[in-house]
Amino acid sequence: MVVITLQRKKCIGCNYCVELAPGQFRMSKKDGKSVLLKAVDKKGFHTLKSSDHGILETSEAAAKACPVNIISVKLK
Amino acid sequence: MIFVTFYWKPDPYFCSVFSGAKASEEMDLKAERKLKIKVMKRGSEKIELMAPAGNFESLQAALDNGADSVYFGVEQLNMRARASINFTIDDLLEIVTKCEKKNVRTYLTLNTIIYDHDLSLIKVVMAKAKEAGITAVIASDQAVIASARSMEVAVHISTQLNITNVETVKFYSLFAETMVLSRELSLRQVKKITDQIEKEQIKGPSGELVKVEIFGHGALCMAVSGKCYLSLHSNNSSANRGACKQNCRKKYTVVDQESGFEIEIDNEYMMSPKDLCTINFLDEVLEAGVQVLKIEGRGRAPEYVATVTKAYREAIDSWYEGTYTEDKLEGWMERLSTVYNRGFWSGYYLGQKLGEWSKTSGSQATQKKVYVGKGVHYFPKAGIAEFKIEAYNIKKGDKILVTGPSTGAQELVIEEMLVNDLAAEAAKKGDNCTIKLPFRVRMSDKLYKLVEA
Repeated sequence: MVVITLQRKKCIGCNYCVELAPGQFRMSKKDGKSVLLKAVDKKGFHTLKSSDHGILETSEAAAKACPVNIISVKLK
Repeated sequence: MIFVTFYWKPDPYFCSVFSGAKASEEMDLKAERKLKIKVMKRGSEKIELMAPAGNFESLQAALDNGADSVYFGVEQLNMRARASINFTIDDLLEIVTKCEKKNVRTYLTLNTIIYDHDLSLIKVVMAKAKEAGITAVIASDQAVIASARSMEVAVHISTQLNITNVETVKFYSLFAETMVLSRELSLRQVKKITDQIEKEQIKGPSGELVKVEIFGHGALCMAVSGKCYLSLHSNNSSANRGACKQNCRKKYTVVDQESGFEIEIDNEYMMSPKDLCTINFLDEVLEAGVQVLKIEGRGRAPEYVATVTKAYREAIDSWYEGTYTEDKLEGWMERLSTVYNRGFWSGYYLGQKLGEWSKTSGSQATQKKVYVGKGVHYFPKAGIAEFKIEAYNIKKGDKILVTGPSTGAQELVIEEMLVNDLAAEAAKKGDNCTIKLPFRVRMSDKLYKLVEA
C-alpha cells in the first residue's frame, strides 16, 4: 500500500509535484495550492492510500522536490 | 562696514547698496523666501517611512514606533511565502483597521512570479484587499498589475521589476503610483530619475506625480533585485516564489581540482552582503528626492521592527527639524546594532566599491533575547503586569522585552518587582512575578530578557 500525505495549507504553489507526479497532484485553480487527487482530508493532512505501486516512484520524486517538505510518501 | 561687504560681493542688489539697510533687508527676504521654498518642497511631503510586518507582533511594533506605512503578505504569493511569516486573507481587515486607527497606510505584497494556477487566487486576494480598504498592492508580475488596475486598486511597482531608468518609470506610470527603484542604483542615479519625474511631470493613474521609493535598511541580496537562482538550484525552493533558502549566507570553499587543495576565500562569506543601512547618509537620501523609505525584514523579530523603525523615525524627524547631528547618529547606530544584523554598509547608493561581504555567519547583533516567561494578568488601575517565569531568571535592573500580537515589542528596565506577592530582587523559574509596566500585558505575551550577545 502506498500512502501519500500532503499538508496543503503550507503549500507555496511552486508546481513541482504536478510536474513530477501529474497523476497524483494538480494545482487548485481556486487557491493556487497543490491538490492530492482522491485524498481524504483529516485536519489538514490530505491522505491518499493506493494499492497501485506504480505511483510510488513519481510521488517520491515529488516529495523529494517539494521545497516546503509537505509531501510524505510511505510504503505500508 | 556694510558697504565693504556688499562691495566685494557681485550681486544684483549692488546698485541698491547705497540705500544700506533697505537693501540688506530685501536680500534677507529673498534668502528667506528661497529657504522657505526649499524647506516647503522637502517639508510639504515628509518622506514616508515604511515598515515590514510579518505578523501581528511586528505590525504592532511598527505602529508603536512611528511607521507611516506598513507592508505585509497574505497567503503564498509574496516574497516571504513560507506560512510562518505570513498573514492569511482573513487577517486583512484586522490589519487595515489597526493601521487606519493610527493613520498608517497599508501595502499588500503580491510580488512573486505568477503561474496560471495562481490567477484566481490573485483575483480573490485582490477583491478582499479592496474590500478591506488597503492602500495599494506591491506588484511585479503584469498579471497582478492588470488585475489591480481592473479592480481600481492602487499599484506600487516592486523592486523585483528592477527599475533603473526614467523611461521605465514612465512606462509603469501608466499603471502605478509608486515605484521601488532597483537596489543597485547609486543615489546620483536615483536623483536623476526623481528630477526627471518632476521635469517631465510623470504622473500615475491618480494624476499625482509618481513617487520614488528605495530600500533604506535591512538585508541585501547578492543577486540583482533578488532575481536569484541559487535556492531553486539547490533546494527546488525558488527565491522568486518567496521561498529563498539563503544559500548565499553560507560559507563556501574553493577546491583546486588538480591537487584537492581547499581554500576559503579571503575568510569572507563572499556571497553574503552586509546589511544595508542608510541612517548615516539620510540627508543624501532625502536630497535625492526619495519619497518613500522602506525597511526590509518581514522575516525579522518584532523587536527588530521596533528598534529599526524607531531609529529611522527619529532620524527622519531630526532631519526635518534641522537637528540631524553626529551625536544622535552615534546613538541610532548603536541601537540598530543591538538587533539582527550582518554588519552594515551603504549598499550601492554611494557608488563606492562593490560588494562588502559579511565576515561571520548569522547576526552580529550586540544584544540577544532569552525567553523568560509569559504574561498572566494585567492590573490596569495599578498598571502592574503579572508574569509566570518559565525559563530564565530575571532580576531588578534587567532589560526586558515583552512581545505579543497586540503588545508589539516593548522594551524596558525592571525597577521594582514583586515575586509571589513579596518585594524581591530576583525571580526564578516557577515564580509568579509582578512588574510595574506602562502598557497592558496579555496572556499571549512573551517575556524576554535582553542580554549582551
